Amino acid sequence: MTLEIKELTGGYGQVSVLKKETFTVEDGQVVGLIGLNGAGKSTTIKHIIGLLTPRSGQILIDGMSLHDNVEAYRKKIAYVPEMPILYPELTLKEHIEMTIMAYGLDHDKTWENANELLKTFRLDNKLDWFPQNFSKGMKQKVMIVCAFMTDARLFIIDEPFTGLDPLAVNDLLNIVESKKQAGCSVLMSTHILATVQNHADKFVLLNHGQVRADGTMDQLKDKFDMKDANLDDIYIKMSNEDL
Amino acid sequence: MKELWKNRLRRHQVDQFKYLRLIFNDNFVLAFIVLIGALGFWYSNFLGTIKHELLMGKPVVILILLLITQVGRIATLLEDPDSTFLLVKEKEFYQYFKSALNYSITIPVVAIVIVNFLLSPFAFTAAGLSILDICLIAAGLVFFKLTFLNIEMFKIYGQEQISGMNLKLILNIFLVVSLIISVYWFSPVTLIIGLITFVIAQMNNKKICESGQMQWQQAISDENQRMFRVKRFYNLFTDVPGVNSKIKRRKWLDFVFNGIKPVQKNTYLYLFARGFVRNNEYIGLFMRLTVIQAIMLALIDNFYISLIVEMLFIYLVGFQLKPYFKEVMLNMMQRLYPVTGKDKITDFTKLSVFVLCVQWIISAIAIFYKFGLSVNSLIIIAAGLAVLLFVGYFYMPRQLKKYLDNGAY
Repeated sequence: MTLEIKELTGGYGQVSVLKKETFTVEDGQVVGLIGLNGAGKSTTIKHIIGLLTPRSGQILIDGMSLHDNVEAYRKKIAYVPEMPILYPELTLKEHIEMTIMAYGLDHDKTWENANELLKTFRLDNKLDWFPQNFSKGMKQKVMIVCAFMTDARLFIIDEPFTGLDPLAVNDLLNIVESKKQAGCSVLMSTHILATVQNHADKFVLLNHGQVRADGTMDQLKDKFDMKDANLDDIYIKMSNEDL
Repeated sequence: MKELWKNRLRRHQVDQFKYLRLIFNDNFVLAFIVLIGALGFWYSNFLGTIKHELLMGKPVVILILLLITQVGRIATLLEDPDSTFLLVKEKEFYQYFKSALNYSITIPVVAIVIVNFLLSPFAFTAAGLSILDICLIAAGLVFFKLTFLNIEMFKIYGQEQISGMNLKLILNIFLVVSLIISVYWFSPVTLIIGLITFVIAQMNNKKICESGQMQWQQAISDENQRMFRVKRFYNLFTDVPGVNSKIKRRKWLDFVFNGIKPVQKNTYLYLFARGFVRNNEYIGLFMRLTVIQAIMLALIDNFYISLIVEMLFIYLVGFQLKPYFKEVMLNMMQRLYPVTGKDKITDFTKLSVFVLCVQWIISAIAIFYKFGLSVNSLIIIAAGLAVLLFVGYFYMPRQLKKYLDNGAY
């Protein structure tokens, strides 16, 4: 699975948030999307999943755009939003059932995956709960379960580490790792740099809707000419460039 | 603080007028004209049958007056962020609540006057009360209501109980006793007791409030509840944004879903069916309209009115279901699911046809009860079926398609 973003320009209404953004996510890669508040991380993600339409430029998954085949494109993606969105009138169990139906997944096999994930996130005894009874972190876990039980090839996670307890963060990272081993790609946006530094293969640094730099940790150190820097230092240097 | 209240009130009133305008534009109002007409017709017929005082007359009058005095709460217009941003102004909020109290008097007073006016012919003939008696009691009720509103203001400061006794309950007991005395023996009693309680409450208002502590959480959630009830009422007639309805599990209705096979094209039927059954708003709307329709059909023996009621109410339920589709479509996740818009529309159509069929069958039973097995009842039932088919297979799919095509859903 490869995700290619070429010269993407877009945003909300008349305002262009993204300006000629270009980067790729390769097969079996975990990519961290990093930038200040308002840099365009969530906007980029919304374009990829097709909630926003690009003004110009292309987004391709395995060479296919959303426009070519909406259903096939969507089946390749699973998405965990920053703010959990659940159906207020469905129980946890029914959310899983509905996702299985929507993606046309194999019922029993997917439930096996789902049960494992539910156990990992300690939700297996809350199958009959409604979203209104869940805390924010629990809702986020539900979204993670629903996303990772599908056979999508690209997983997009928006700010996964805020709101989750440390144990859940650890569990999520393990799941990401196993998906990576299976050849899937993961794109995650985050502010928790220390965590992402250890777990991503590649980083895309966004600033004002443009890709300031991208590459592995070593490539970034070269680009910013900071030998012993960690991601935090690079991030602060990038932010100070504006001043 | 006075300024804050005035600002809020202005905004609140603009909002209310916006909704009222929508209500009176909507064709739903037709149903209420028919309903009020039917009730008025029934009431005047009923009054004609009363020739002398009834045994049940006085208790009925007392009950109605007791209920109408419960109508109306203090509108504080508090908002969620207040508990963070205006916490420092707590002391000055007393003036704000005073203004709120003054404003909140209007609607209950109007309600008391109208109900007393409508009730007066019945009270005159069936309960043997004179016009003067009725006026005295109505004035007394107004003072009682003022005391009730004062107690609500005490509640904002956590002072709704005095030495372990619930003030509202005590006042209600006073009210019942005075109403009984007024209606059976001596009519000025309600006015006298009402006036006394009002003067006591009013004079001690400041002292009581200052001795308490303002209960922000409670006051804000009370106000949200109140606004929710108001908006839910408007929502019967028109779409109101931000009305989050309550969800109930209703496990005993799960058998309804058994017919839905878990295959991809049924994805949305799976959701819509559960949503309809569990979301109080939609099942409530369906129940209310169906019950009102059945009662009207069982009471009215005019062929043409029954025909209109049958057709209108089936159309209305279909019409009022539409916002549910829109509500689901606003959920972002549904746009990510690999399901086509056509399937969503088909699934929603299935749900609406099923719901309307249930309504149609219930209304048919009411019609057979009133008209028996006759040509008239068959015509009415056939007309209902025609509306059902029109709404389900013609009107609804087109409207939903238009909606999906307009937005980027």
